[in-house]
Amino acid sequence: MMYAVTTVAILICIGMAMARAFLGPSIYDRILAINSAGTCIVLFLSVLGFLMGRPDFLDIALTYALINFTGTIAILKFFKYGSLGVSDPAAPPKTKVE
Amino acid sequence: MINMVLLMLLLASVYAIIRLDRLLTAVLLTSLFSVLVASIFMVLDAVDVAFTEAAVGAGVSTIFFLAALAIVGRQCKPTPRRKIIAPLIVVSATGCVLLYASLDMPRFGEPLAPVHQHVAPRYLNDSAAEVGPPNIVTSVLASYRGYDTFGEVGVVFTAFIGVLMLLGAGTRRTSIEPPTPTGAPKESMRKKVVLKEVADLVIAPVLIFALYVQWHGDFGPGGGFQAGVIFASGIFLYALIYGIEPAQRLLPPRRLAYFPAIGLLLYAAVGIISMLRGGNFLNYSVLVNDPLHGQHYGILAIELGVGITVAAVMINIFFSFSERSL
Repeated sequence: MMYAVTTVAILICIGMAMARAFLGPSIYDRILAINSAGTCIVLFLSVLGFLMGRPDFLDIALTYALINFTGTIAILKFFKYGSLGVSDPAAPPKTKVE
Repeated sequence: MINMVLLMLLLASVYAIIRLDRLLTAVLLTSLFSVLVASIFMVLDAVDVAFTEAAVGAGVSTIFFLAALAIVGRQCKPTPRRKIIAPLIVVSATGCVLLYASLDMPRFGEPLAPVHQHVAPRYLNDSAAEVGPPNIVTSVLASYRGYDTFGEVGVVFTAFIGVLMLLGAGTRRTSIEPPTPTGAPKESMRKKVVLKEVADLVIAPVLIFALYVQWHGDFGPGGGFQAGVIFASGIFLYALIYGIEPAQRLLPPRRLAYFPAIGLLLYAAVGIISMLRGGNFLNYSVLVNDPLHGQHYGILAIELGVGITVAAVMINIFFSFSERSL
């Protein structure tokens, strides 16, 4: 019962985040909305595993959580630099970051 | 009920993708579409398929789309109205044919459907004694259907050859004008402290998780395909934060280009060895004295081959695309 209620709540959250992603006037709205929809889906997958009595579904939630992070970084990098491969060769590889 | 909600969200995202003319937003929504499809697969209890969809569709293909956008630019040209008529007819006709074909399919969950009559009961009842792994999907994929999986790895390898011929192996530069970035790219990604530290924390767990998926595929969802993609996405993360050149110093493209072939040959070698030991091609039971142990070793070896091929292909394609847009 508890899991079912949680599932419904998360589905509503996904729906609202997606509405923002479709409507969002600026690209920032969309990136943020899609990222939060992805986070909600990670939660959804985890809860679904317990709802259906197969907690090994957690692997998929974990995968998507890790991959969503990579994807979002790729999107942000593309948005800022216009290419995914940019590095800055001037700085040596082991620079201390301030 | 959950299915219906997910399908509605799916339809909404498809509609939004079609209506948009900004390609970057379309790519974002495509990744959302993939993860919704993965959720639907989960609800339908197809865990391994959901795993693949979440890893490939939502993660890696988004990154490839972005890498392609970096080459072709972000806006799509408006299509004149008369040019859309023929494609519309073709698509509608195909859709009608598919709908018509789906009328003949057995209802969802129908116990009398042909697939539940002879093949599935055999897999469900006998695979523990014949092949061994608790995850029946792995035994079907790697042992019963070993030929098909071999073909799939061959397809991945062929796709890699195609990309290599089109784009080069990440070893040559071209003079294509890159699209203008929106921000001022004065400081590199590496200078972003939060991103760099979080990525440093995350990269190693991603790689370890990939190995877990690789070797735990017999017992839970997962296997070579998913593990290869996850491993590759860990490398992508490194390349995104530190730039492509450090990543290529880590994995030189010239040497990496051998690995897809190595994985495929490892797979084939297992088949050849089982032939030499007196069995059929890819019959792992003859690999060692105990048939179940033979199956287990065979499955582990071919999953490793699949993982190597997939990871190397993904990383190579990423390098090729990113080099083109530098």
